[in-house]
Amino acid sequence: MNRSALRLYRLLLRLLPSDLYRAHGAEMAELFEGELAAARARGPGPALITCLIAIWDLIRCAPREHLRRRRHRRPRERTMQTVLADVRFALRTFTRQKGATALILLTLTLAVAANGAVFTLLDGLFFRPFPFPSPERLVHVNERAPRWNLEYVGINYPDFHVWREHTTSFEAMALVQPTNVNISDGVTAERVRGAFVTHDFAATLGVRPVLGRTFTAEEDRPNPPEVVVIGYGLWQTRFGGARDVIGRSFRVNSEPHEIIGVLPPQATFPGEVALWLPAGGDPAQAWQSYAYDGVARLKPGVTLAQAEQDLLQAHASIFAERDTGRVVTPFVIPLRDRFVADFRVMGGALGAAVVLVLLVACANVASAMLARAVFRQREMGIRMAIGASGRRLTRQLLTESLVLAAIAGVAGTVLGVWGVRALVASAEGVLPLWVRLDGTVRAALFGVSVVLGTAVLFGLFPSLQARRVDLRSALSSGARTSGSVPQRRMLDALVIVEVMLAAVLLVAGGLLVRGYDRLLDVSPGFQLDGIASFGVVLPEARYPDGPAQAALYNRVLERLRAIPGVESAAAITCPPLTCHWGSFLEAEGGAPPRRDEPDPVTLVRVATGDYFRSVGTPLVHGRFYTDAEGDTVGYRPIVVNEGFARRFWPGEANPVGRRVKFRGDTTNQWFTVLGVTRDERHYGLHEPPRPGIYTSLRSWGGTSSMRFVARTSGDPEVLFAGMRRVVAELDPELPVYQVQTMRRALDRSLAPRRLVVTALALFGAIALVLAVTGVYAVVSYVVGRRRHELGIRMALGAQRGQVLRLVVGHGLRLVAVGLVLGVPAALGAAKRLSSLLEGVSEQDVATYASVIVLLTLTGVAAAMLPARRAANAAPIAAVNEEG
Amino acid sequence: MRRPWFYILLSLAERDRHGLGIMRDVLELTEGEFRLWPVMLYGSLEELREQGWIRALEAPPADADDASARKKWFRITPNGRRALAAEVVRMGETVRVAQRRLAHSGTST
Repeated sequence: MNRSALRLYRLLLRLLPSDLYRAHGAEMAELFEGELAAARARGPGPALITCLIAIWDLIRCAPREHLRRRRHRRPRERTMQTVLADVRFALRTFTRQKGATALILLTLTLAVAANGAVFTLLDGLFFRPFPFPSPERLVHVNERAPRWNLEYVGINYPDFHVWREHTTSFEAMALVQPTNVNISDGVTAERVRGAFVTHDFAATLGVRPVLGRTFTAEEDRPNPPEVVVIGYGLWQTRFGGARDVIGRSFRVNSEPHEIIGVLPPQATFPGEVALWLPAGGDPAQAWQSYAYDGVARLKPGVTLAQAEQDLLQAHASIFAERDTGRVVTPFVIPLRDRFVADFRVMGGALGAAVVLVLLVACANVASAMLARAVFRQREMGIRMAIGASGRRLTRQLLTESLVLAAIAGVAGTVLGVWGVRALVASAEGVLPLWVRLDGTVRAALFGVSVVLGTAVLFGLFPSLQARRVDLRSALSSGARTSGSVPQRRMLDALVIVEVMLAAVLLVAGGLLVRGYDRLLDVSPGFQLDGIASFGVVLPEARYPDGPAQAALYNRVLERLRAIPGVESAAAITCPPLTCHWGSFLEAEGGAPPRRDEPDPVTLVRVATGDYFRSVGTPLVHGRFYTDAEGDTVGYRPIVVNEGFARRFWPGEANPVGRRVKFRGDTTNQWFTVLGVTRDERHYGLHEPPRPGIYTSLRSWGGTSSMRFVARTSGDPEVLFAGMRRVVAELDPELPVYQVQTMRRALDRSLAPRRLVVTALALFGAIALVLAVTGVYAVVSYVVGRRRHELGIRMALGAQRGQVLRLVVGHGLRLVAVGLVLGVPAALGAAKRLSSLLEGVSEQDVATYASVIVLLTLTGVAAAMLPARRAANAAPIAAVNEEG
Repeated sequence: MRRPWFYILLSLAERDRHGLGIMRDVLELTEGEFRLWPVMLYGSLEELREQGWIRALEAPPADADDASARKKWFRITPNGRRALAAEVVRMGETVRVAQRRLAHSGTST
């Protein structure tokens, strides 16, 4: 018992503060041992009491010893209180330096907002994985035909059939053709996006129906059964999520279809697809259009190159049998690339620009903090002198930075989210439909982490400087005149970097604005204002042939013309900026194109005679046809554009009277050129025009899909309601879709370009403001430090102009060095933008000159303010002040 | 002044002692009424040392026996003596005040 009591006591002694234990632990144990031995001699009772008292002594005194030591050491406030005190102090400092703080906050906020918005966009476009299992194995399969001037031809079914049979690299391969369908439950009609898919589409994407099943191979045959798989959204909105929906009937394009399955919510690929219909392709039918997009899932471990090799191998038989000219070649690319290719340059430009903006903002904030810290050296010196530890000062400065960063982070995130909303609104119909811009949480985290990083960086630097402060020089009031050289060099370098980056951003923004201006000057070849349009698709069930379709179109046109304010109305299959339908034609007497010759697709449109007058198509030769002219057999007039005339009758002034026919048409149905129009920018101002023809409804026969255009002298949007009413009166089951004005359609086609241009112009402006304030801050700082010297100079007879020159010269030197570095950098950056510059040279002298002049002038102006202050100060005051 | 401090100072006022010596001396001084237990004893010694009223000796006195030579020895400082004297005066004052009051109130009860 003796020994174990002693061991226990020794153990308990460990509870004491370590210094006490180290100094006296052994003696304490010894003392206890002596006491215990004496007590034991008196019996077990006294021994036990001794033990208990000794333990009581220990337990009673140990806390006191600990507390005493804590109190005795450097008075350590409770952490939370210190932090709050630091925050309060920081806020007080900010209100004292309103201008500087507001500037830092504004720049940080804008930088975070810009970063958040752009990052959200880039994340949605380039990084967010598709919502399917192993999305990295999903690839896009398509065919290209350089001779036809088509990068994505689409896939024709027989080709696909061969690939599916003869490739081994793919786990599954499927075709999808998005289509617009009319759905109705007999009461209301609606037009939704659907998709014709091959039966293995679900397996390729890796989705399982939440109810029922998807198509079987048997259902995916020519003349497929009337079955439909509905999307989750449709299931919820049309059927209220009823579980007994399987087996119900549902009208698609006026035909009743049996619902066999319901898709999970994420299965809307390639975007907003609300239902699936079986593709029902026929591999035996020879001439088929290239209408499908291909999606495939690679087997694990198979590379893109291997897959493409495999595909080409399978395709060899097609080259041998059907496509001996080797015109159409299949290829495999990552699924995302199919959609984001157009956004690569744009996204790259935006991403790079926003990083530059952030860098400029960081440089600006760093220089502001640095200048501030130097001015506060005295304060720091005093605080160190009265006993503040270096750690305490660092914490104080870091708290200031973090408070700034937190405010800017929150404000910037809010602004960024708002920016994303504006972005979504402006980019409607431009971004691929699968893109989800809901990564705001991630963007916010990104923004906040950028800000925190910046805060720590620029907060630490001045604090390290503060810790190195030489107390005596900091405290003596003359300290201000002795500027430390490394500090000023650092400040100068930061401003030079700002000017350089601003130059890059301004040049990029300037070039893009000029390019965009030039784009807007392009004549579209049709009228933009006062024109509204909409589309209808007639179900085959009720409008089976040409005459039935034409009858409805004519009735629609009659009623459209009766709407008050409508000056003219017409119908056309594809008005500008909407759809595309292309084919191949050949001229009478012309040789078919040689194998090495380009063979561009011709844009074919069926239009009523009023169309040309309605949209103001400029006529070059001949005349337009009227609706009375033309027949499906016999005389069939067409109007062609100049590009078409150049392509088929190069060097011929007036091709009116010439004849063309569709390639491969063995019945020799000739179309006669009646007139020639100017080229029209069918695909948007930024896309080159294609050769194109128009033909009349009578010559063409029939078409189930038609769009109507109406011209008014007033606001075309007021026609929308009337247009819908006209169609609803004639056929309530016929939905009207894509109701829009020509101007809006053009705006939308320009939206991505406008986005980049606006963003870069804005970023350039932000960078300019930042750089100019940077120059201002540094010159003010230098003036502040050299006040004493400048005062002496003036007292000794220096002229006001000389002082101004001295101070402004410093600012100007920084701008000059920044420009010398910035202009070559801008040239490099501009090269990458060339595809967005619309013929404006990337070395456009006017832009560079404007940027140089702009930065120089604003730099001088920024330097003038503090310089004048210095020159106006009474010299004697400056000299005395430092006494 | 806390009681352990007072007795420790009182004990050291006579001669230099080590911990166990102080404990035994105080026990004897108070006729077995006040026993300094180890943690209280050494904690107080540390406090007094920090206060500057006692100091630890570098070496034990020459006359110390082997067992006690291994221990730490303490000596009261002039400041410690002054503090002790002041405390004794204060205590005497306290006692006088109390006795005067008790003498007067004693008649009334």
